[in-house]
Order: sequence, then C-alpha cells, then structure tokens
Amino acid sequence: MDAVHEVLGRSALVSLTATAIALALGVPLGTWLALAPRRGRAALATVVNTGMAIPTVVVGLVVALLLWRSGPLGELELIYTLRGMIIAQVLIATPLIAGITMAGLQALPPELADQLRALGANTPQLVVRLWIEARVPLLAAAMAGFGHAISEVGSATIVGGNIHGQTQVMTTSIVEQVGRGDFGDALVYAAILLALAFAINALLTSVQQRAAAWARS
Amino acid sequence: MGSVLRLRNIRHRRGGREVLAIDELDLDAGERLAVLGPNGAGKTTLLRLLAALDTPTAGSVELDAVSTSGADARLRQRIGYATQRPGLLSTSVIRNVELPLRWRGFDRATRRSAAQVALERLGVARLAHRKALSLSGGEAQRVSLARALALEPQLLLLDEPAAGLDAEAREAFLDDLEAALAERSATVVHVSHRADEALRLADRVALLVDGEIRQIGTPASVVRQPADATIARIVGYDNVLPVHIERSGEVLICGAPSGVRLTASPGPATLAAWGPAIRIGPPGRGPLSAMVKHVSPGSGHWNVTLAAGETLHAHVPLNDKPPQVGEPAAVQLDLTHATVISAGGRDNTACRW
Repeated sequence: MDAVHEVLGRSALVSLTATAIALALGVPLGTWLALAPRRGRAALATVVNTGMAIPTVVVGLVVALLLWRSGPLGELELIYTLRGMIIAQVLIATPLIAGITMAGLQALPPELADQLRALGANTPQLVVRLWIEARVPLLAAAMAGFGHAISEVGSATIVGGNIHGQTQVMTTSIVEQVGRGDFGDALVYAAILLALAFAINALLTSVQQRAAAWARS
Repeated sequence: MGSVLRLRNIRHRRGGREVLAIDELDLDAGERLAVLGPNGAGKTTLLRLLAALDTPTAGSVELDAVSTSGADARLRQRIGYATQRPGLLSTSVIRNVELPLRWRGFDRATRRSAAQVALERLGVARLAHRKALSLSGGEAQRVSLARALALEPQLLLLDEPAAGLDAEAREAFLDDLEAALAERSATVVHVSHRADEALRLADRVALLVDGEIRQIGTPASVVRQPADATIARIVGYDNVLPVHIERSGEVLICGAPSGVRLTASPGPATLAAWGPAIRIGPPGRGPLSAMVKHVSPGSGHWNVTLAAGETLHAHVPLNDKPPQVGEPAAVQLDLTHATVISAGGRDNTACRW
C-alpha cells in the first residue's frame, strides 16, 4: 500500500506542478492571443490550436531527444527525472490552457474591453478584470490542463522511464502491470487514479459552478 | 469659455475606406453636442476617437490642448464613456460603479458615497446590491450611465444611451439623463440616430452623414432650415419632396402648381414639410389632386398617406373624421409647417400619379 501512496503522491506532484506552470504560461499567452491586434496573432493561434491536439507521445519523444545525455540539453541531466517529466507535461498542458483562455476571453462581449479602457483601466487592471469575467472558462482551462497532465502516459514513459521509486507514476505503473498480465492491480491503480482526478476536478468544478451561478443569481 | 475639445483635419480609414472626415470641430467647456446621423454614418467611430480608444489615421484630437493620440489610462480617466451596450461586469451594481473610481485611486468611503449618489440620481439606488447581469435592459442602461457620471468626467461621451428601451422607459430615462446633465458642468458629446433624443439634450447638433459633418447648429436652426434633403429626413420631416420653383415663384410638385408662391431662386429645390403642412380637403378644394392610400392612428393624430405624384404624409387631428382609403382628395400646402431648401434639389422626373 505504501508503494501505491508513493506513486500516487508522485503523480499528483508532477501533474499539479506541471498544471501550475502551464497556467502561468498559458493564461498570459491565451490572453495575448485574445487581445492582441489580429495581424500578429493569427499564426501563433494556429500553432496553439495545433498544440491542443498533438499526441503526448510526440511531445515525449521531442523532449526526450532534447534532454538525452547526448542531446542539446543533456548537460542539464533531466532525462529520467521528475523535472523532465514536468517539462514534458507543461508542454502538453500549455497549448490547451492557452487555447481555452483565448476562446474564453473572445467569448466575452466584444465591447467589454473597450468599455473598461474607456472607464480608465490601464492594461494590468483591464487584464485582471477580464480574467475575472472569464473565470468560468479559465477554471475549465485549469481542469483540462490538469486532466491532460495526469492522464497522459506517452511522455511520462519516454521522458521519465518508469523507474520504480523515482519516476514511476500512476499511468506508467498501470501500463507496466497490464504488460505483466496483472490486471487486478492495474484496475486498483486505475480506480485510485480516477478517484484522484475526480477529487481535484470536483473541487475545481464546485468553484467554477459557484462562480457561474453567482454572476447570474 | 475656451475650447475644451478640438478636432482638426480628422481622417479615419477602416477596411480600406475613409469612414470619417472632419475638418474642424470645437467644443466649449460645458457644451452639449449631439451628433445625429443614420446608422453607419460614423458616429461611434467619432466617439471612439474622442474616447482615445482609437487614433485617427490623420489629424488631431485634443482634450484641453493635449493630443489624445496614443493616450494612456491617465488621460482616459478624464473621460466618461457610456457605450451603446451597457457593458456591465459580473459583480454587484454598486461595485460596477465603484470599480472605475478605484482605478482612479479614490478611497473606499469616497467610492461608495459617489456611487450611491450617482445611482440615486439615475433612480437605481435600490438595485445597488443586485447582480448587474440580472438587470433588465433599462436598469442596465441607467447603471451604465451612473457609472460614467460617478466619475465626474471632464468629457462625457454617450453612445445611443437610450437604445433598446421601450417608449415609456426611454422617456423616463431621458428625463433623468437631462436632469443629471443639468447638475453637471461636463462637456457632453451624445450620439444618436434619433432626432427627438438628440435635439432634446443638445446645445448644438452636428449632422453626420457618410462620415462628414454636413451641418452644425442649434437644434432650432437645423430643424427650421436643414441644409439638404438628407438632413431634412434625419431631423424627422414627414415629407421631403423634390419640387420646382418657377420664375414667378410658384412651387410645382410633379409639374403641378402647389398653390404656394415663394420669393426664392427659380429652379429645382426640395420641400421639407411636417405632417400638418399637408392640408386635406374634398376634391377640387385645393390646388393638388391626390388619392388617399393609407390611414392609421398615430400619436395624437391620424397618419394619412396620399399619392399626389409624390407620396405625401399628412397629419389629421385625431378628433376629426379621417378620409377613407381610395377616396380622391385635394391637397393644399401650409408653409408655416414647411421649409423650402433651395440648394441640392433635383428636377422631378419620377412622379407617380
């Protein structure tokens, strides 16, 4: 049971850290894409939207090649480490968060940003207020980012290496157990992983729905 | 008082075409200017330039001799702008009004007090703790206006503030707006496509057509002497007709004598006439023959549409018996309810008898 706790804690640590970093990168990027002049943003918006659909195993492969000991970032010694796994998950979650942030801000009434500027908001005040107005989709972005991070197995396997006691997480552990034909343990791990995802998403959903109801009540 | 707002040689292009061309416009401190024009005339574009939200392609907009081009939040904080749609935030009504005051650095007590006063002035203080997104259209417009007024701006910009309100709510809203503006010394620019609204609130009216100011003057002057047929229609004349003035001064409508003589230059002209200027009598009892096409009750009168070469719109007192559709009639013009615009008319070649 201790092994389960350890792997579960590692999964939560990697995914929550990656989600937090992806939020810090993705929300400003999505905000810029939503508010910047159309000319500059179209190409990057396409890249972000493509990134939302990119297979995690491809991200894992690219990150692994970069972090490989003989690769361009090999000196950092991040291959088969939790940090390396977090980097891969950040790259997976950031486009998703940026894309949903962009869509959420663009769904606000088009005159709202101009109205706020006309009322005297400077850029930071404007952006913070728009984030508050778009809090429901922004929470959806956080949930999607976390969901993507905790459930992905491709990059975790390639970049983390599924090393017992070091980089093994719930998803890679399930794959290993299935490979061994140990379906009972795999199902237990799957149920625990689902429970963790459910608990975190239930918390975020509760905040999101309260925010949605508050605005309209 | 000196000019607080100066526009010079403004040219603004959008989508490859020029949407605004204003050579010169000055507003004195405390003056109220209504910009009246049809949809698409460039009214909101003008307000956005004044609000320093957009920079003109060419020319300058100056507020107190300071250019608004590339203006920062500090300059915009001297401006209050109530957009056509209220643009309220998903928080309480009072926080909506307080937030721009917070951005200006006012302390909490001052913010609360100013917000309360503005909400009371617009008759919506009872809504202070309601969620702003749950308000009706009329309530939201009032809150939006209260938010702009609470800032005590030097320049107040109003974009169709009564748009979307029903007739009753609109009247009440305009009453309160008029009272609120009377208490303030702000310079006001108010754009509208409704003549009654613009004429009621303004010291001067600018008629904006296709991005150009075609006429500017007091409400009385633009109504009594519109510069051309388009402006006559915008300010609400019921009849805007091409006519021809003979050397004798006789006014012809579709080549037929109207029974009206003027001391005006001969040639094509435009007749702008209010409904009461079209007097309807029995056949043969007036210089123009007509046919009654449509009759419907209006606000305090019958609206009667007649075919007399041109289509004429007459008002008949509600207590009088209206003519019947299909009846022949005679029409006489009463120039006390009409004006002839000498310039800009066209010879009438499309009369429909």
